[in-house]
Amino acid sequence: MVKAVRDVSFHVDQGEALGIVGESGSGKSQTMYSIIGLLADNGIATADKVVFDGQDITPGKTDKQTYEKKMGELRGNTMAMIFQDPMTFLNPILKIGKQLTEPIKNHMHVSESEARTRALRLMEQVGIPSPEKRIDQYPFEFSGGMRQRIVIAIALANAPKLVIADEPTTALDVTIQAQVLELIDELKTNSNSAIIMISHDLGVVAKLCDRIAIMYGGKIVEIGTDREVFYEAKHPYTQGLLNCVANPEDDEDKPLEPIAGSPPDLLNPPKGCPFVDRCTKAMRICKDRAPEVTTFSDTHQCACWLLHSKAVTK
Amino acid sequence: MSENPILRVRNLKTYFDVTKGLFAQKQIVKAVDDVSFDVMPNETFGLVGESGCGKTTLGRTIVKLYEPAGGSIEFEGRDIAKLKGKELISFRKDMQMIFQDPYASLNPRMTVGEIVKEPMIIHNIYANDQEREDRVVELLKIVGLKPDHIRRYPAEFSGGQRQRIGIARALAVNPKFIVCDEPISALDVSIQAQVVNLLESIQKEMGLSYLFIAHDLSMVKHISDKIGVMYLGHMVEMGDSNDVYHSPLHPYTTALLSAIPIPDPDIAKSKARIVLGGEIPSPINPPAGCPFSTRCPKATERCHKETPKPIQVGNRIVSCMLYEK
Repeated sequence: MVKAVRDVSFHVDQGEALGIVGESGSGKSQTMYSIIGLLADNGIATADKVVFDGQDITPGKTDKQTYEKKMGELRGNTMAMIFQDPMTFLNPILKIGKQLTEPIKNHMHVSESEARTRALRLMEQVGIPSPEKRIDQYPFEFSGGMRQRIVIAIALANAPKLVIADEPTTALDVTIQAQVLELIDELKTNSNSAIIMISHDLGVVAKLCDRIAIMYGGKIVEIGTDREVFYEAKHPYTQGLLNCVANPEDDEDKPLEPIAGSPPDLLNPPKGCPFVDRCTKAMRICKDRAPEVTTFSDTHQCACWLLHSKAVTK
Repeated sequence: MSENPILRVRNLKTYFDVTKGLFAQKQIVKAVDDVSFDVMPNETFGLVGESGCGKTTLGRTIVKLYEPAGGSIEFEGRDIAKLKGKELISFRKDMQMIFQDPYASLNPRMTVGEIVKEPMIIHNIYANDQEREDRVVELLKIVGLKPDHIRRYPAEFSGGQRQRIGIARALAVNPKFIVCDEPISALDVSIQAQVVNLLESIQKEMGLSYLFIAHDLSMVKHISDKIGVMYLGHMVEMGDSNDVYHSPLHPYTTALLSAIPIPDPDIAKSKARIVLGGEIPSPINPPAGCPFSTRCPKATERCHKETPKPIQVGNRIVSCMLYEK
């Protein structure tokens, strides 16, 4: 049994963007899939509590059928998702227009022609050139960046309360990535949606997110506002991560400081801190007991024994 | 400045025929169109651009995986198109390549030892198997793997470790030049830094030159001495990496740089981005005139008609009519 996500707690407010950063296998995507009920069939999620917009959506509380029915209603309605590959979302055999007007008709109860007018306006909003022509085309006729914009247009149609974006720009080129990030940012400001942005790219979260959670080995090791995490990083892993990306604004091309070793095997997760094997400051307790959470401000928390009030710092 | 370049590329063109059907109109993709640049010994030349700009094709043409449709490539003063027999074999030895996908580029049925040894056998550079084996162990140490990894198979390694095996294989024949085609794009951030540092330390010790192809501008700027920016098969700007980054001349370079997400919230959130309209045009039907004219915010009527020639501005070369005198 792979323990992909282990004891994770967080919240996100309306009109706020939370970034979840971690390397492959850190559990960032599985955390979100557990919450929105999209785990693979062999996945089991349990939680003390998951509350969305006042509704209890804790997995494993009700029987499977009731849970899935409820999640089915929420997803694509007040909860929108943007995946790395837009084709996991778009239906390849339906015209773009159909895929755009369907949610508009369902949720706003407007006529076919009214829905089409709104769909055209949405396409224009996300920057699709000549929407009149494009609306009757199929997804394969669109480039990767344009497909991602269609997915965002569909999300926009419902003015969702929560948007979960899982590496939405990883497959895109930088200039197209910048366009898509700006659209997601508009969703936040214009629709007051809450955004959860899953990414491995520190540059992307720095641009878009108000708060950032750093995941490692299935746990959130540090969480705080963008400035707290980037400028006052407390966890040795966060500090290490920041030191191994090249910041092109730094002129002295100082050598990168990679983190030696590789991430833990979550089939047999370490008993103590997940980062213990790669941490240069590891102590004996780090191997034996999971670190307690230390709070630095209302927003900034970090799970590391070094920061514990009883830790002796030299 | 008196030094001779190790690699000298002039007006290189690589075209692909993508005509479908017998009677269909001929369709040519001009993947690399009229590209010239030099790489000096011991230097890293970074090649950046978005997908489909021709950077990988350029790299592959240089190692002679593709036949150029025109222009010349000189390696150590010799035209590689004319190399035959022994000379060609020696060129293949001096010029090695590291690939993007550390999964696809290693034979799953060969052990690490066999993979790294194979080029040594092909080029017959060690007297016997024992010497080769010793060198493999040495190389594994250089790239940060353990000597006992020699009997293992690629499947037993992580992505970053596999990339190290690929680097050991490239180093096996003591090359002078390595084309690194997106060597870090498939790796996690903490592992990317390991591989970049490894490439830099190998260069320092062995005096290699790199052509470093990537779309990650931050890493390219970090590792490269010079940068070339490609768009739709053309080299639009070229110069020292700090110069190109801090004072880009070509409007495309400016837009590309403004789109890099900077890992620093204060800078990232305040940085103004130049909005590029539209999409990258298809290389089958490239726009007339300047390749960037369809998206360029500063394009004039002339840009849609004439193809700009490379112009020297300071120690930079830029292909843009804005800089014509």
